[in-house]
Amino acid sequence: MLNWIISGIIMGGVLSLTVMGIAVIYGITGVTNFSLGIIGVLGAFTTWYLMESFNWLFAVIVGVALSFILGYFIQYFLLNPVSEKGGEPNLYFILTVSLGLIFTGLIKVIFPRPDISLILPRMGLFTIGGITASGLKYFALFFSVSILILLRLLEEKTLLGKKWIATSQNLKLAKLIGINTKQAFCIASGIGYALAAMGAIIWGALYNINLMSGWDLTFLGYIIAVVGGIGNIWGGLIAALIMGMVMSFSGHFLGGMWQSVILYAIVIFVLIVSPRGILGHEKSI
Amino acid sequence: MKNRYKQLGILIILLLALFFVFSDGYYKWLTGYIFLWFIQAYVAWFLRFKCNQPFVGFSVTMGIGAYGTIVLTTMYGWSNLQAMLVSIVVSAIVAIIIFMSTSRAKGFYVTMVSFLLAIMFPKLIEAMREITGGRSGLYFNGLEVGENVLYTVIILITVAILGFFIWLMSTNTGKIFTLISENDELTQAVGINTFKYKILAYGIGGLISALGGALYVNYTGFVSSIDINVFTTVYITFMPIIGGSGVFYGPILGTLFIRLLPEFLVNVERYLDIIYGCSFFLVMLLLPDGFGPSLEKYIKKFKGGENNA
Repeated sequence: MLNWIISGIIMGGVLSLTVMGIAVIYGITGVTNFSLGIIGVLGAFTTWYLMESFNWLFAVIVGVALSFILGYFIQYFLLNPVSEKGGEPNLYFILTVSLGLIFTGLIKVIFPRPDISLILPRMGLFTIGGITASGLKYFALFFSVSILILLRLLEEKTLLGKKWIATSQNLKLAKLIGINTKQAFCIASGIGYALAAMGAIIWGALYNINLMSGWDLTFLGYIIAVVGGIGNIWGGLIAALIMGMVMSFSGHFLGGMWQSVILYAIVIFVLIVSPRGILGHEKSI
Repeated sequence: MKNRYKQLGILIILLLALFFVFSDGYYKWLTGYIFLWFIQAYVAWFLRFKCNQPFVGFSVTMGIGAYGTIVLTTMYGWSNLQAMLVSIVVSAIVAIIIFMSTSRAKGFYVTMVSFLLAIMFPKLIEAMREITGGRSGLYFNGLEVGENVLYTVIILITVAILGFFIWLMSTNTGKIFTLISENDELTQAVGINTFKYKILAYGIGGLISALGGALYVNYTGFVSSIDINVFTTVYITFMPIIGGSGVFYGPILGTLFIRLLPEFLVNVERYLDIIYGCSFFLVMLLLPDGFGPSLEKYIKKFKGGENNA
C-alpha cells in the first residue's frame, strides 16, 4: 500500500514539472499552449542523443536550454505578434497544435529511434521512513519540489517575478509603468518549456518516452493544471500528487488500460463539481 | 436573399458528387469519405460558431454513433437501423448531459471537459477491447444495400443535413441561436430561456454528429480506437476555422484541405506531420479568417481594382 502511495507521489511530482510549465505560461501570457509537452520531449530526445557522446549533465543542460530557447523564440516571433493583434483562443489553439505537429514530425525525422529511455547515473536504493525506493525516484521528487520552491522565490523575491505578477494581473497597466511585457512573456514561455523538458527528461529516466509522449504529457499536464485551477502553481502541485496516486492505485487494481480512463473520469467529475478546479484562481501564479 | 441563393448553389454543387456513382474505384470512395467529414465539420460550425458553444467533444459524439452501431450489430445481433437509431439518440443525450453538467462553468472549462472526454474516449475503447476490439478494431458488413446505394445515401444525407442547417438558421429558433452567440446575457435579459435553446443546440449537434459516425462505420465497415482519437476532435474543430467560419461553405473548404492533404502526401508520409503542421500554421497566419472569407476579400479587392482602372 505504502509503495503505491510513494509511486503515486513520485509520478505526480514528475508530472508537476509539466504542470508548472503550463501554470507559468498560462498564468503570465494567458495562452493555452499545446506544444509545451512536445518541445519538452524534443529536449529529452536531444539529451538522450547527446548522452551517447557527452557527459550526462552537459546533455541534460543542453536539452533543457534548447527547450528554453525554442520557447523564448516561439513567444517572441510567433505568439507575441499574434497577441498584439488581439489573438483569440481559436487561433492560439490551432497555432500551438500546429507547432506540436511540426516538432513531433521533426523528432521523427531527426532522431534514429521513436522511443527511448534515458539512462541517468545510478543512485542506488534509499530507505526513507521505512520505504525503500530507487534514489532516482527520490531525486525526481526532491527535484520537482525544489523547482517549485525556486519558482515561488523567483516570483516573490526578484524583479522579474514582480514584473510577471504585474503583467498577469493587469497587462495594460504593466505596459504603462514601463514593464517590457514582451520580454516578460518570452522569459515565462522559455521557463515553461524548460520545465516541460525537465519533466520529460525525468519521465524518460524513470519510465520511457516516445514520439507521442509529448502529447500525453501536454494533455496530462493540462488535465492536472485544470483540476488544480489553471495558472495556479500550488493547486497544480496538489492536483499532480493526487492524480499521481490515482494513476498508481487504478493501475494496480484495475490494470494499465483503465488507469487513464479512471483518471479522466475523476477529472471530469471534479470539473463538473468544482468548475474552477480544487483551489480555483485562474491566472494566479 | 443573395446569400440564400449562394447557399442553395453550394448544395447543388455538392449534389454533383452523385455523378461519381457511375464510376468505380478510389475517387468515388474518397468522395463519400470526404462527405462524411463534411457532416462533422458542419456540426462543429453550428455548435461553435453559430451557437457560440465551447464544445469540442465531436469525436465522442461521432464515436458513440460509430461504435454504438457496430457493437450493437455485431456483438448483440441488433438490426443495423435499430442500432443506428439507438446510438444517435444516446449521442444526443450524452451531448445534452455534457452541456447540463458543465452549465455552471464558463468557456474554457466547458471546452476542457469536452476535450477530456475526447481524450478519454479512445482509452475507454481500448480498456473495453473485448467488446470494442480496441486498437485492432471491429469489422462488419454495414448496410447491405450495395456500394452505389450507400454512396448515394451518404451524399443525399450530407446535403440534407447542410440544407437542414440553412433552414434552421433562417427560422426563429436559428435567430435565437444567433442572438445567443452574439450576446448570451442580453438574450436572457429580453426574456428568452437560453438554457432551453442551448439544450436544443447540443441535442441537434449530438444527433447529427452520431448520424455521421453511424454512416462512417457503415461506409468504411471498420472502426478502431486509432480512427476516432483525440486528433479526430482537433481536426473536426479545425475544419470550419481553416475554411472560414464566417461563410457557409467554410467547413467544406476546411474539410477538403484537412482530409485531402494526406492523400497528396502519401509519398512523403514520413514528413506528413511537419507538412500538416506547417500548412495549418501558414494558413492561420496568412489567412486568419480562413480560406473562404480571405478568398472573398481578394476577389472583392481584385474587382475593386478593375473598376477603378
